[in-house]
Amino acid sequence: MKQFTDVIPPRWPLGLLRCFVKKEYLEEIEGDMEEIFYDDVEQRGVRKARRKYAWEVLKLFRPILLRRVGDLKPLNPYPMFRNYFKVSVRGMIRHPFTSFINLFGLAIAIGICILVYGFARWTYGMDRFHQHRYEVYLATFYAQRNGGTQVFGMTPQPLGEMLRKDLAQVRQVCRMDDRDVIVKYENKVLHERVRYADASFLTMFTFPLRWGTARSLEDMNSVVLSRDMSIKYFGKEDPVGRQMLLTFDKGGSKSFTVGGVLDEFPKESSIRCDILVNFENLRTTDTTYRPGDWNAFIKATWVQVERPADIDVIGRAMEKYRKLQNAAAPVDWAISSFGFEQLATLYDRSVPMRNKPIWGGAEQNQKSVIFMEFIGIFMLALACLNYINIAIVTATRRLKEIGVRKSIGATRRAIAIQFLSENIVTTCFALLLGFIFGYFVAIPWFEEINHFSMGFKLADVNLWIYLPAILIVTAIASGLYPALYISKFHVVGILKGAVKFGRRNPLTRVFLVFQLILACIFITSAVMFTQNTSYLSHRNWGYDPRQELYVSVPGGAGYEKLRALVMQDPDVVTVAGSGDHVGKKTGTAVMHFPDHQYEVDQLSVGPGYFETMGLTLTKGRVFAEDRETDKQTVVVNEFLVRELRLKDPVGQVFRADSIPYRIIGVVKDFHSQSFFDSIRPMMFRMADRSRYRYLSMKVRAGSADRVYKMAQARWVALYPNLPFDGGYQEDVWGDYFNEINTHAVVWEVLAVIAILLVSLGLYGLVRLNVAGRIKEFSIRKVLGARLRNIADHVTRQYIILLMISLAAGAPVSFLLVKTLLEFAYPYHMPVGYSGVIIAVLILVFVVIITVATQIRRVVLSNPVHGLKVE
Amino acid sequence: MKKTKLGEFEELVLLTVAALQEEAYGVEIKRDLEQRLKERLSVGSIQSALKRMEQKGFLHSTLGEATQKRGGKRKRIYTVTLQGRGVLHEMRDIRAGLWNAIPQLVKVSTI
Repeated sequence: MKQFTDVIPPRWPLGLLRCFVKKEYLEEIEGDMEEIFYDDVEQRGVRKARRKYAWEVLKLFRPILLRRVGDLKPLNPYPMFRNYFKVSVRGMIRHPFTSFINLFGLAIAIGICILVYGFARWTYGMDRFHQHRYEVYLATFYAQRNGGTQVFGMTPQPLGEMLRKDLAQVRQVCRMDDRDVIVKYENKVLHERVRYADASFLTMFTFPLRWGTARSLEDMNSVVLSRDMSIKYFGKEDPVGRQMLLTFDKGGSKSFTVGGVLDEFPKESSIRCDILVNFENLRTTDTTYRPGDWNAFIKATWVQVERPADIDVIGRAMEKYRKLQNAAAPVDWAISSFGFEQLATLYDRSVPMRNKPIWGGAEQNQKSVIFMEFIGIFMLALACLNYINIAIVTATRRLKEIGVRKSIGATRRAIAIQFLSENIVTTCFALLLGFIFGYFVAIPWFEEINHFSMGFKLADVNLWIYLPAILIVTAIASGLYPALYISKFHVVGILKGAVKFGRRNPLTRVFLVFQLILACIFITSAVMFTQNTSYLSHRNWGYDPRQELYVSVPGGAGYEKLRALVMQDPDVVTVAGSGDHVGKKTGTAVMHFPDHQYEVDQLSVGPGYFETMGLTLTKGRVFAEDRETDKQTVVVNEFLVRELRLKDPVGQVFRADSIPYRIIGVVKDFHSQSFFDSIRPMMFRMADRSRYRYLSMKVRAGSADRVYKMAQARWVALYPNLPFDGGYQEDVWGDYFNEINTHAVVWEVLAVIAILLVSLGLYGLVRLNVAGRIKEFSIRKVLGARLRNIADHVTRQYIILLMISLAAGAPVSFLLVKTLLEFAYPYHMPVGYSGVIIAVLILVFVVIITVATQIRRVVLSNPVHGLKVE
Repeated sequence: MKKTKLGEFEELVLLTVAALQEEAYGVEIKRDLEQRLKERLSVGSIQSALKRMEQKGFLHSTLGEATQKRGGKRKRIYTVTLQGRGVLHEMRDIRAGLWNAIPQLVKVSTI
């Protein structure tokens, strides 16, 4: 016979049995089941017996055997909860300081969580407002570039037209492309960006019109304006029917009638435009437009299908177009396949896409959301730890109450529930305050420093799920441990006064250490990000932008005229013309070597450009003035030489667009984009004089402002009908420096909040601790203890804690912030220890100040008051 | 007849309890009935019948001894109360009366 101990009944059915069968029946039934089980084991084997056991347990679900839910709560619990509520509100009022620490901390943390929610919702909710978001697709293509497959958002021009004709599944197609244009209305003459789009643009995307009709986009002579544009030119009134003159880059001017005005774009729209005209206008307003040319690319082709499944059919049909495309395209630009991206997920998936027709902040934003989620969790953790610590320490005050409650019959569970429900009351207040803080302070602040609007709305179902979720998570995270801890004590011990708890709870110290580490991380981030911002603003661009100015010019003739005028100014050192301009406009090219090819950025420039921009030549020479043969030579940057491992770059020959080129010089690396982007391989080509688009000037130090105004004045005299478009080279990165400065500011604010939370928590702890030992200190004082002695006794335990926290926190912060910097910036300062040291000093200083206030209190107190028994 | 009635299955269980005397506890009742009825019964059905009849007052139970096989849990021994016996008798009488009232069947059976 088998030993019974070898085999036991399966565990989960037994657990189930225990939880649903009435207590008084349990022993008998459990015994019966076990007996049958062992009989079965003998007769049929273990596996069958177990299966049967489980099955039998399920069959025990019979009303008469079930435990009744009502059995647990014979009394109406409502008055008890009312009492808990009353007690907790009174407690909060009676101890305003501790409740302030708790409420304030939790409220700030919750406020930040609400901000995080708003931002995450905005980021992940991009373009979800479009009615046809699941039926509209962006046509993309994949191509091999520099050894990897890359996805592009632009499309060959004829594709849209052919899709519409060939495929029945395609409901409508929208081609779109953007051009620069000069808009003239009355006396306003300004540079704008015009979007050529098929009329389906307004039906495919959900952009309602404020005035006018969507059909007007079908009319070749109408424009549809964005709300911003309408306000810019016509103020608040309805401009439908007014005339505007648009002067195009390549192809004269045309007068348009305003046919409609869009409503303001929703905040979550990644697709935006200023001025819309019918796509077919490209034929007449762009002399370079070649319909049917597979080599010409337009910004985007959108396709709308009946059902999302249809896109697979279309996808299979694309092979035909790929062949057409590759037959026409030069070898450099062969594509591997076409693809489609659904509008609903386009933004999220747009990070690796090149030439995307939508707003390009996806990567930065997704990074930011991850950052902010961490921050939200950290802040909440800080606040919860504060709460836990203070709750444990203040439990002493409530010993008598707990004792009495227990002796009149409260179980441990009842006490735990009491404390948890008190906690929920506190968290409710905190949630309310936090919501006010988040809604009226945090979100507007965040929007202002980042210059955007996240469109935070109260009418959002998810928000009302999120808020209670936060409430419950916070309440349980902060309240569970204190509730269990406090409810644990035995009533006799409490009432006898033998239990002294709270003050020496080891977990309090662990929590405090943890908080100090978190604070250390925040402070270090703030310090390092600030340092990094100042480092980046002084970082070498590869050339000196401070004495550079640029003006965009209409072609070579305009360049010559303006050049003659500005050269008269003694402060202008050199002037150069170029087709592209560093930081403003860059092209791309593919370099073909016999055995491999490589995609690079390219700038077409005039001969004097290197000198004017201050780009340093390291090898070879730059283009010579008026040497025709230099048209087939290029100058490259060091990065390209390194990437291609060219041993002897000067003299190397390669092909681009089937024309042979020779490298004649190498320049030092420089940043053509902001520091957010890595330096890319760059190739300079000699620009055709007639194709000059930019005039750049090097000026004498300190004269930039004056020269800028001079150039502007000359321009106005030269071209009264063309708006002046020029600027300081320092400004070509736009808001970059503001943006990184914003990062630093955000970290500083967070660090201040973290310090505030930690010091408040610490202050509360020390204060309660000192208050609890007031008798001890009074006796010491009576016996002649001096400041030193008392300070020693107050600080001893905190000094040790602080040391532990710093020993753990400093390396952790260092590594973490280093990782953060690497994650956020491709170019960042060399990470040194100074940031951590400053952070540690700040933290130590804060801790000392906090503790010192309490030492002062003890020293100044009268021992008589401390010793008096009430 | 009284208001409290016995279901068919309950009656069988009650009779088994009466028959088993001191041995009348859950597993034994189940085993005995299974043999007689020649079908498998679940613990749940036996238990719910027992509990229901205990509530009605036909059965009385006491905790018996524990065995190793039961993992140290005690048995519950059931005994039929006076009221239970009364109901059983009553049922039998009713049945007997009905059988007597069916002459053909009686005849058939006697042949």
